[in-house]
Amino acid sequence: MEIEPWEAFIRSTALHTLVRHYEPWLWPLCETLHYLGLSLLLGTVGLFDLRVLGVARGIPFQAIHRLIPWGIGGYVLNIITGIVFFFGHPDQYFYNNAFRFKALFMAIAGLNVVAFYGTSAFRELATLKGGMEAPMRAKIIAGTSLAMWVSVLICGRLLTFFRPPFFH
Amino acid sequence: MDSFLAFFENSTFAGWIRGELDGSTLVFPVVVTLHTIGMGFVAGGSAAIDLRLLGVARKLPLELMGRFLPLLWLAFVVNAVSGILLLIAYPTKALTNPVFYFKVCMIALAAWLLHRTGDAAMRAPEGEQEAEVANTKMLAIASLGCWIALITAGRLLAYTRRWEMLGIPSVG
Repeated sequence: MEIEPWEAFIRSTALHTLVRHYEPWLWPLCETLHYLGLSLLLGTVGLFDLRVLGVARGIPFQAIHRLIPWGIGGYVLNIITGIVFFFGHPDQYFYNNAFRFKALFMAIAGLNVVAFYGTSAFRELATLKGGMEAPMRAKIIAGTSLAMWVSVLICGRLLTFFRPPFFH
Repeated sequence: MDSFLAFFENSTFAGWIRGELDGSTLVFPVVVTLHTIGMGFVAGGSAAIDLRLLGVARKLPLELMGRFLPLLWLAFVVNAVSGILLLIAYPTKALTNPVFYFKVCMIALAAWLLHRTGDAAMRAPEGEQEAEVANTKMLAIASLGCWIALITAGRLLAYTRRWEMLGIPSVG
């Protein structure tokens, strides 16, 4: 397959050269950070979602929401390491169906975040005390969040099984 | 190859996990994926309890954090089972690698620390806003460090051959 302009551009960047030069240790390091980041995301956002869905109902929403910044930290770590992977081997990701599904689920998760904080769903939840049940709208958003992040993880894990049949 | 390891590695069951049998292509991807989902919940959820014990989200009632423990232990069991399946599939790869033994030690330590930190959370008196005991904070720090070491070791297992190429001798 011909190298398209977008891929030629990525291969011309300093980041691409750097990733390929230090690949033997940089790749395992970034993979490890990527796994730590996903654990932080699932362990904080995941527990928040479960509370909204009705697990550990005594916990006030505002209190468990304080864990979310740590989940965002994990997300940022994974975006940075993800960029390292993509710039290192753009063809191995772009022409990979698992990666395309992963990007789709990430986009849905992103829209879901907008639906939560951009509407009154979050404010509505913040006024509720511990022991109270979340409104249906918040439950749908939390369920979507949980399903999307697990799907993103599954697609990420399956990347190696859907490698394109060529290397540029 | 050691004959003991060869017995497992050459078994039909090991071949089934590796996807070498008809219709078993999906087994290996499913097992490694479950291992990663389980890791996310047990390591991440345990880290959330550790952060709470260290003073993050102070208004979060500790004894209620304990309600998540059954889920975390379920994730731990999923990873123990999927981990044993991966070990049966590739026993030589794992058991000749010093990183694997380090990982096993970290698993034991992480499980003990989760038991201790979970216990500390469950026994926190109702309404208490902070883990006052310095010992509990030490357990939380140790637990966080342990998960980082464990995940790092797990990821490095995939690079066994490269470790050997770097001249780090393997055991056995």
